[in-house]
Amino acid sequence: MKVALTGNPNSGKTSLFNAITGKIEHVGNWAGVTIEKKEGEIKRSLSGRDTFITSVDLPGAYSMSPFTSEENITKDYIKNENPDVIINVVDASNLSRSLFFTTQLLELGIPVVVALNKSDLNKKKQTVINVVELSQKLGCPVVETVSSGNNNGMEKLISSVVAVKYKKQSSPFDSSGVNIADKREVEASDRKRFELVKNIVSEVEHRQVRSSRQTRQDAVDRVLAHKWFGVLIFAVVMWGVFSISQTYLGPLVADTFVGWIDSFRGWVDGLIGKGVSPVLSSILLDGIIGGVGAVVGFLPLIMVLFFLLALLEDCGYMARVAVVMDMFFKRVGLSGKSIIPMIIGTGCAIPGVMATRTIKNERQRRTTAMLTPFMPCGAKLPVIALFAGVFFNDSAWVGTSMYFVGIALIIVGALLVVRITGEKNAKSYFIMELPEYKFPSIKRAVMEMLSRAEAFVIKAGTVILLCNTVVQIMQTFNWKLQIVAQGAEETSILASIASPVAILLIPLGFGVWQLVAAAITGFIAKENVVGTLAVVYGITNFIDTEELALVEGATDVASVMGLSSVAALAYLMFNLFTPPCFAAIGAMNAELDNKKWLWGGIAFQLGMGYFVAFFTYQIGTLITTGALGNGLLPGLIAICAMVGYVIYLMRVRKSIPSIKIGLSG
Amino acid sequence: MEHTIRTKIMTTINKRMKTYASEVVNLVKAQVNREYTVKEIKTNDDELKNFLFTLGCYEGETVTVLSVLGENYVVSVKDSRYCIDRDLAEAIIV
Repeated sequence: MKVALTGNPNSGKTSLFNAITGKIEHVGNWAGVTIEKKEGEIKRSLSGRDTFITSVDLPGAYSMSPFTSEENITKDYIKNENPDVIINVVDASNLSRSLFFTTQLLELGIPVVVALNKSDLNKKKQTVINVVELSQKLGCPVVETVSSGNNNGMEKLISSVVAVKYKKQSSPFDSSGVNIADKREVEASDRKRFELVKNIVSEVEHRQVRSSRQTRQDAVDRVLAHKWFGVLIFAVVMWGVFSISQTYLGPLVADTFVGWIDSFRGWVDGLIGKGVSPVLSSILLDGIIGGVGAVVGFLPLIMVLFFLLALLEDCGYMARVAVVMDMFFKRVGLSGKSIIPMIIGTGCAIPGVMATRTIKNERQRRTTAMLTPFMPCGAKLPVIALFAGVFFNDSAWVGTSMYFVGIALIIVGALLVVRITGEKNAKSYFIMELPEYKFPSIKRAVMEMLSRAEAFVIKAGTVILLCNTVVQIMQTFNWKLQIVAQGAEETSILASIASPVAILLIPLGFGVWQLVAAAITGFIAKENVVGTLAVVYGITNFIDTEELALVEGATDVASVMGLSSVAALAYLMFNLFTPPCFAAIGAMNAELDNKKWLWGGIAFQLGMGYFVAFFTYQIGTLITTGALGNGLLPGLIAICAMVGYVIYLMRVRKSIPSIKIGLSG
Repeated sequence: MEHTIRTKIMTTINKRMKTYASEVVNLVKAQVNREYTVKEIKTNDDELKNFLFTLGCYEGETVTVLSVLGENYVVSVKDSRYCIDRDLAEAIIV
């Protein structure tokens, strides 16, 4: 039996879905979190031992006439897949708007059960809904639900669902006579529909607090979404999130973790003894355990980060952030809605890029998708931490400044896109629903954190493990499959592949094959940069996340790598601001949906990484040593070529005026 | 002297007429915390009009500006709270 879950955005569908299937799909207290349909089997404890029910969680829709891609998915699913029963999740605090969609669903002829969700919020506001009468007027069962806690109405809901299967569904509103092609007829019919809804609501609902009056929420909003104050608060909140995960709580947990990895390595070492060939032992101990261990040591930091981000998303603050940032984003041709994918991108760029689907304006959506990877993601954290530890004495400003550089690049990128596509005069509107504030669910945040941790561990155990092994092998052997002698590392397979590319990067200060190899593996997973460096330089003993410091001899590592601090900074920035890992590029491809934008985006990211690293290295070297760095001239030529091309693109478009009125936000 | 008296009378009459005649007000000029009835959604964008409709914002329905946050306006339509920007607020005539 197939059940479809549908309803207005942010009505609690996904939370309900999680409650009845036992899954932990991602939720967030803002409209637009679910963008694809998700399937799951309803818990046997609810459905009864004989029935097998799959339920599908659809993205939110305000009506059947779709304007956004999410509403399209909903409409298509219901019309094509023919679910047996539809559960219409309705936000109980919002009947007047929600029931519009409900009446449309009732006309489909498929049995409907209304889940009157968030009933607990209504109790707080002293709004009373006569459920029995509502059920009678709609002609379908209405079950009060709350998505969390024990007495949540799920059993009653599912038993109602099972009971209405095969029943004929009547509808209080009949729009079958309306000619869909005639706009005026449709409009008139929709107005009548709203009239019907109004009548139903007035008879069924009794409110104590009028929603057209200011409440305490508005007072809070006035502070949190204030023009200037709001930005300050946002900056403080983000700083808090990162410092807790990177400086305080994260490393604390990481301590114990790395301790385990170390002892594990020691145990394996003892196990294989002296009898095994040093090559094999090296591959196992240094390549696999060492390399992967270096990465996994950062897991606690990432887990804390995701936990905090989940709390942030759940309390309803994200929507206010979009409002605050709208003023600034408008100046670069984007809207406040673009900030949400970027915040999510600080955890992982993939869901961040996917979150751009809620942005209606095509150009803004694509621009945001292309720029979101500039925000350092969780996978880049180990890289930042490593370099901050080796070259900059764990200074906190390293990490913080990387985020600011990311933001700066996003602004520059957005401006460039606007100039190149020439849509400066497009009038686009910003509208964002402001959900009610709520205390974030700790349980949900923990679930989210664990699910991410699981994904990370799996990734570490597969992709990263594989990469490290391959790298280790490639550096140990040369093309004739002989073991490379000590001191002749340049003849190894790895070196011969990386060296040609290294020449291109000399102007950036790190034209050394080891570093280039690490950067290349970074495209498979950014964590690999750390892993590969650990393998290539044999510094597995030194990397330890205890307070983000290295155990012994930070200076040893620095000298082994042979980089000045400036060059190290340039290298760090290069890895952070070039195209993201292939998985993220895949997500970009899916959202951009246009080859020109995709290659343009990748080229832009490559160019930016090169640009930023080049100037950091050259100017930094000039400041610190008074001399210019290597390869200044060729680097400068490359930069000029890139800049010239961009200017050319801008000139070409400037001659085509375009005034488009598009819906943004 | 006659001229100035006449101008004075005319300006006063004009002022009075303005307050009695129905002023074209959009949400930007609307008073905070007062319920208004939507008269028109002034835009060429059909998609926007339709979208606002599904939220319950169309001719004949009530809308209230709850607060002003810089260039953005928090409005209440059908028991829901939305934040809209100045461009959109200007398009909603009440």
